[in-house]
Amino acid sequence: MKELPSIIKPPIEHIDLVKYAGASGDFNKIHTVSHIANEKGYPDVIVHGMFLMGWASQAIEEWFPKRRLHRFGVRFMAPTYPGETLVIKGKLLEPNAEAVIDIGSLEIVDSKGEIKLKGSFELSKGEDGI
Amino acid sequence: MPDNEEGSLNFHYAEFVIEAGKIKEFAQAIGLVNPIYFNKEAALLQGFKNIPVPPTFATVIDFWNDHGFYQLFGFLKLHPENVLHGEQSFEYVETMYAGDRISAVVTIKEISHKYGKTFYFLETIYKNQLSETVMLNHATLIEVGL
Repeated sequence: MKELPSIIKPPIEHIDLVKYAGASGDFNKIHTVSHIANEKGYPDVIVHGMFLMGWASQAIEEWFPKRRLHRFGVRFMAPTYPGETLVIKGKLLEPNAEAVIDIGSLEIVDSKGEIKLKGSFELSKGEDGI
Repeated sequence: MPDNEEGSLNFHYAEFVIEAGKIKEFAQAIGLVNPIYFNKEAALLQGFKNIPVPPTFATVIDFWNDHGFYQLFGFLKLHPENVLHGEQSFEYVETMYAGDRISAVVTIKEISHKYGKTFYFLETIYKNQLSETVMLNHATLIEVGL
């Protein structure tokens, strides 16, 4: 198992969710309107799970810029709110010479160590030194 | 329109045309920096036929569709504000590019009830204008707060 360099993200701002809502088309009010989120029992708007999965996809591209992704799956573990600072951590299984793909895993964790997202991915083999 | 084949419930999306500008906007929103998403020449240099879509772009096809996720919510009688996303996975079969016309069918694989919540297991298969399967999407939606 090879540790990949952790990626520290800037704190999520409300404007990031506005941009993501417009880009993705997911305008769900629990992600965009604070008082609706409050009425549903959440302290603030919830960060779109797919926004975090998008960040995770960016991490994979940063770790493996020349590889092709074959499979990518995540589980959303806990709600994330604006203002939180998150870190993306990843690992690559020891490459198996006989396999046609490499397999990795990742986590998005907040500053208190709470896991927000857990994921796994399969990539083409590459000559990127990892 | 919804239909019912071989005992499973299917929901057909409207055709969705992938636009380069939408790829750029989506890539920016999630912080992608690879020039292949912003510049056709950069994509060609890396062996792509055109600007490819980012790994999680299927969500754009789902939500910006004229007959897509919002209509599916209505069909399942789900209120969006009571729905959380539990799991999501993608299998990439062929690359989707700017200019492609994508059709998709959602199959409701299973609906189960646990811990006072309802879990919806969905599989979506996306095809391009050549009828090639380009991507498989498995999602778990959780209905809460009832």
